[in-house]
Amino acid sequence: MSDQIDFLLDSLPHLLFGFPGQRPGGLVMSVLLAVAGLGVGLAVAVVVAAAQDARSRSLRRLADSYVHLFRGIPLILLVLIIHQLVASGPILGLNNTPLGSAVIALVLYSSAYQADIIRTGLRSVPVGMVEWARVIGGSPWQVYRLVKLPYSLRVMQPALSGQGITLFKDTSVVVIIGVAELTTTARIVLGSDVGNTPFWVATYLTVGLLYFVVAFAVSRLALRGERRYQAGNLVRSLAIPTAKTGSRL
Amino acid sequence: MRESLTPETVSLLLAGLTLTIALTVVTSITSFVVGIGVGTLRLSANRLIRSAAGTFVEVFRNIPALIQIIFWAFAFPSLFPADTRMFLFFDNSVMTWLTTVTGLSLPYYALAACFGLTLNTGAHMAELFRAGVGTLPRERIETARLLGAGTLALFWWVLLPGGVRAAFPAITTRLIHNMKNTALASFVAVPEFFQTVQASITQSFRAVEFLTIAAVVYLLLSTVMAGLLRRVDIRLNRGRMHVRPD
Repeated sequence: MSDQIDFLLDSLPHLLFGFPGQRPGGLVMSVLLAVAGLGVGLAVAVVVAAAQDARSRSLRRLADSYVHLFRGIPLILLVLIIHQLVASGPILGLNNTPLGSAVIALVLYSSAYQADIIRTGLRSVPVGMVEWARVIGGSPWQVYRLVKLPYSLRVMQPALSGQGITLFKDTSVVVIIGVAELTTTARIVLGSDVGNTPFWVATYLTVGLLYFVVAFAVSRLALRGERRYQAGNLVRSLAIPTAKTGSRL
Repeated sequence: MRESLTPETVSLLLAGLTLTIALTVVTSITSFVVGIGVGTLRLSANRLIRSAAGTFVEVFRNIPALIQIIFWAFAFPSLFPADTRMFLFFDNSVMTWLTTVTGLSLPYYALAACFGLTLNTGAHMAELFRAGVGTLPRERIETARLLGAGTLALFWWVLLPGGVRAAFPAITTRLIHNMKNTALASFVAVPEFFQTVQASITQSFRAVEFLTIAAVVYLLLSTVMAGLLRRVDIRLNRGRMHVRPD
């Protein structure tokens, strides 16, 4: 029992922060990967969602295939494909770094899901509100940026935070190209030493607990934010974008 | 560099594809059953049962599927001493029987992958089913009670069909996600499709070809599954007005 505790105490700093002298790894890297995938993914998703509802038919088709493609294949396969493409020649100046491949794959994957959420959110904006903004002189881009996007972001918040938690858990599959996040770190800590076999259960229980704590905490925080919007902010949330932008439109 | 698509690799990939489909079918059914079961327990009047089911959902939903699969396949057996472990997980009549039936050399790993996927997807399904039941009109449940339905009758004739029908679009998405998650079983030496793709790449060094094949196959599987489940959805809603309470 005591050697179990010793082993865990020795490896816990690695599982949390990675190995000293290297770039941050472990749980910190898992969180960073998820944040990068979600942040950049959201920017890409806004563009894809706009293209999905574009007037040009070919643009719509292109955006739909984008979503269909990246939602239709397992993330673990996408990671391998991107890594293969990056490794076979320097793309975007990324010289064969697993981390770069992982981020690109996570962005593509996440943005496809986020685009669907954004599209649904945009459709929830009352038509009257959009028309009104157009009537008082807003250009389509202004209406999109100042009315539709802020309004629908509130509607989308639960779905987006759910997607965020899912992506955080999904970062575990980048272990296939050896990015030193939590799952990879667990494998490194355990190594191929047969003598470490007794520590497998304790280590993977700890890894599971670490994922659980972050995912559960974020979901509770998101639920709180959601309730706050529902409680008092509905009227204000409708008023803020219009009041702030009234003079600019 | 060798030929990429030799007859051997084709039959290897086909065997992998068969196993992927088998894993998908088995875990879809088991996780559906687990989801309905746990989702129903979450509606129980008994507070203890309710919170136990809630804990189940939160635990198995918030731990990545990959970690759960690795845990059941590689970590869990190490709880037992070496000779017991050998007998329990690898060298007994059930495993021998599974080997002859499925042709897998180490069927325990496939079982462990199924178990992990079932818990993960089942936890998600429980939440979807509960949400589906939540959209049912209260009067319908009260009417059933008034007509004298007991707990079992209420579940079988009202909650189960109503909840599944309401949650079915979300269940479809989750089942397709589960199909993609079967690729994670490649991590614990289950020779499913993704694993055979990787093996073919190692043999032939033709990564681009095989990865493209893999992408096309998974896209096809997703599309076919979405189409099949769409038909089930239509069937479930037959004779009803196509209005969803959402």
